[in-house]
Amino acid sequence: MQDRPVAFITGCSTGIGFETALLLAREGYRVFATMRDLKKANPLKEAAKGLDLEILPLDVDKPASVKSAVTAAVKKAGRIDVLVNNAGWGAFGALEEFSDGEIRAQYETNLFGLVRVTRQVLPVMRGQKSGRILNIGSLAGRMTFAGIGLYCSSKYAVEALTESLRLELRPFNIKVAVIEPGTIRTPFKANRRKARLFQEGRSAYQKTLERILYFGNHPSSSAPGPEKVAVAVLKALRARRMAVRYPVGRDAVWFPLLRWFMPDFLFDWVLERRYAGFQREGA
Amino acid sequence: MRGPQIALVTGANSGLGLACSKALAEKGARVYAAYRNPRKAGPLWELTRALPVFPLLMDVNRAPSVERGVRQLLRREGRIDVLLNNAGFVMAGFWEDLSDKDLKDQFETNVFGLLRVARAVLPSMRKQGSGKILNMGSVAAFAAPPGLGPYSATKFAVNSITEALRMEARPWGVEVAEVNPGEIHTSVVQNTRMGEGVFSARSPYSPFTRQFEKLAKERFEKAAPVEKLVQVVLKALGHSPMKRRYLVRPDDYAIYYLRWLLPDALWEWGLGRMFPWSWPTE
Repeated sequence: MQDRPVAFITGCSTGIGFETALLLAREGYRVFATMRDLKKANPLKEAAKGLDLEILPLDVDKPASVKSAVTAAVKKAGRIDVLVNNAGWGAFGALEEFSDGEIRAQYETNLFGLVRVTRQVLPVMRGQKSGRILNIGSLAGRMTFAGIGLYCSSKYAVEALTESLRLELRPFNIKVAVIEPGTIRTPFKANRRKARLFQEGRSAYQKTLERILYFGNHPSSSAPGPEKVAVAVLKALRARRMAVRYPVGRDAVWFPLLRWFMPDFLFDWVLERRYAGFQREGA
Repeated sequence: MRGPQIALVTGANSGLGLACSKALAEKGARVYAAYRNPRKAGPLWELTRALPVFPLLMDVNRAPSVERGVRQLLRREGRIDVLLNNAGFVMAGFWEDLSDKDLKDQFETNVFGLLRVARAVLPSMRKQGSGKILNMGSVAAFAAPPGLGPYSATKFAVNSITEALRMEARPWGVEVAEVNPGEIHTSVVQNTRMGEGVFSARSPYSPFTRQFEKLAKERFEKAAPVEKLVQVVLKALGHSPMKRRYLVRPDDYAIYYLRWLLPDALWEWGLGRMFPWSWPTE
């Protein structure tokens, strides 16, 4: 098969998915860029003029939608060489205060949806006896940050998924890795959903969460943009031996290591002094 | 602190939960032992004859049930000092062999259930300005073996949850920690469930599943007795403040440190060697 390799990407309306779809198309992949809401497809359509990039509707939360999008891609291209599991969003709030519904919604997209797409694509890749799966994880999958504990836990789960899936698929010559962006200048803010209690100003952790949110909304201007993540994806795809993880940005490399070697009391102290550690409120 | 400690133990009708309920009660705590299935609660009722153990019907998968159970406890005792978040089970199988429902069931109990119980007790603990939450993790929180991915993913998630809860609750004097045992003789093996497609003849993983079962059996023949883990739980709850993490056997320490110290490729090679089918030598 000397045709151009086929890539299937989720969550392409903005940010990392958007840039990855464009870069892979420019680098000669036949790209199926999927997104939940086709009304947001125009910017990508504009940017991808003249490229072999096709937009498909896909809501990873919905099994039927996953099935029809993957089937459509396979019908058109006959194969899928690369799957980039990018769709995801971040819940913001104290772990104590998420409702069951909020918790399930976070996992539905970030983990169950990711597995759903992967499960749909795997028979195709096994049939080809080749394929690469890249999960967009996060620095938050390697260390936990206050205020986004629920999001972090879903990204930890993606790390476990990647590591076990790698070994499960090795006999089939399917390779799996996780990309771990640190702080990235993306419209992630738009992809954030605040816990209802916090949103309504009734959280027991209200002030602390507000401070953390402020920090989160003001990433340092030296943080890399989403195109850097796309470059990491390409690097992983081209690696003869694909590594387990590809951190993107300096923080993604150093923070987990620092945290590991740091005793808790020091970590807590740093958080409180330098950052916006949790503080007792309303006491 | 005056009076006996008030403890809530989930998954208390068998295995570790049962053993810990007994041990805590013997140390003088009043133990509320949460169980889900009345038909399996026989051994728990045995305990109540001689010890201050109070069985509590509670399904961690259902929010109303959890809230009702905790309300009952608080009405009788007025406080809660210890939560042992122990309820959980293993969903075994290769990722592709698991249905959506299998995966959700696994997370519903091991992760969402754990959060549900923590959420129910935290307001009281914060009000008291004290309390200890001990989450049951596993060495699967550091190593994600093939054939045990979803279980491992729940334990990775718990790892992160423990850390987030710890940071959140600390200013209120509430401590959150985690125990990460390896193979221990508890009821975990009897309670293991298999993913929907695991025994399907069409599963591409069938030969691996057989090898995996054999290996798991071998490893559990060398499992440590449950008393060992009970001791660690008691030790942890005795510490003030608790450490963030408690490990049990020397093997568990090895796994914990090697994961962080070895480069990924080397770590994976080691893990792959343990599951030879996943590491075919070309």
